[in-house]
Amino acid sequence: MTARIRRVVVVGNGIAGLTAADSLRDAGFDGELTIVGDEPHPAYSRPALSKALLLGGGDLSAHELPPATHGAEELLGVRASGLDVERRLVRLADGTALPYDRLVIATGSRARRLSELPGEFTLRGLDDALALRDRLAGRPDVAVVGGGPLGMEIASACLASGCRVTLVSQGPPLIEHLGPYLSEVFAEAARERGLTIVETAAARLEPGVRVRLAEGGVVEAGLVVSAVGDVPNTEWLAGSGLTGGGALRVCSRGLVRPDIAAAGDLAAYGKRRVPLWNSAIEQARVAAAALLRGDEAPPLRFRPYFWTEQFGLSLKAVGELPVRGEPEYVEGGPAGAGLMRWSHGDGSGTAVALNHRIPIPRLRRAAA
Amino acid sequence: MKIVLDRPRCEGHGLCEEAAPELMHLDDDGELVLVREEIGEADAAAARAAVRVCPVAALRLT
Repeated sequence: MTARIRRVVVVGNGIAGLTAADSLRDAGFDGELTIVGDEPHPAYSRPALSKALLLGGGDLSAHELPPATHGAEELLGVRASGLDVERRLVRLADGTALPYDRLVIATGSRARRLSELPGEFTLRGLDDALALRDRLAGRPDVAVVGGGPLGMEIASACLASGCRVTLVSQGPPLIEHLGPYLSEVFAEAARERGLTIVETAAARLEPGVRVRLAEGGVVEAGLVVSAVGDVPNTEWLAGSGLTGGGALRVCSRGLVRPDIAAAGDLAAYGKRRVPLWNSAIEQARVAAAALLRGDEAPPLRFRPYFWTEQFGLSLKAVGELPVRGEPEYVEGGPAGAGLMRWSHGDGSGTAVALNHRIPIPRLRRAAA
Repeated sequence: MKIVLDRPRCEGHGLCEEAAPELMHLDDDGELVLVREEIGEADAAAARAAVRVCPVAALRLT
């Protein structure tokens, strides 16, 4: 079967596309490989954008990854605009048509916006991060809309840059991602560092840009950044019949159909999307193997790893999130650095290291 | 082929250890230890996977 695969096209040059290309080579595919990326930049580390890169004195190379070794033809700065699954053609915005025998779809997702106002900043790509970093140098008052991990990391970086920052959050920050116990730990650390947290049922943006709260108040700021989730980039597949919009459903091996795989933030296993760094990598490996070997390739085993750095806290977590109730302390104790565990009904657990340097294999053992 | 660690960049996630446990591990203090720096062909794929999985690009192959 492998002998007949001559051309593979990977659409998307984020970590999922890059890993898929690497994995195809590692699996012995030595045919024609083309990777398409809509950004002009080489692949970079997206988690770094809202962490080290955003800090004023931070490392301007924090997002850079080692150069690609897959030897693919790289078409960067051009967007895929259509897919013809019958003729096996990817169409690009510049008019190019790329034929393929196998296709990897890894076009990721983009920031969901609250408005069309040009004054609404979002943080998703490298250019967003560099623009935000430039604006922070002027020390504007900042309003961050969105109390998830990204919104909180942005708020933390803005504070560290010397800005006054108000975080507008639906309910307590991080509660939907981490649960009430850790939400409180992070909110307290954030307030101690000077963050103003405004909880609201809903917020919308008005020209200016101002944040209008459902309760009637308004938050004014020189800079408004929203971090309210992401939207899969699947519009270019509209005519393909593969998706009716939104995420792209894949099988347990990451295949959409035998000659097409999907990996990363746009892929849905059942109804589940896992837009995390290590999951994108694991999805891409599984998908590349399945494209070459079909059902002989192993299915994906979800092993999500989540980490965040903000307000002087560093958290690493494996296992299901959010977690309910109080943890048991494996190392350390309340109100300090340590290793915590929440037990679930089925015997599995979630292990969380807070300001505690621990390698993932040990963290996984603590959760098991 | 040689594997090179940029120690100040390393944040101790340990995803590399998961990808290539024969080549590297984190010690009790969470510091990365390279078992060996010279990588032969047999370990090249594991080494590349370890380099790729690092979210802060603390590892490189030369």
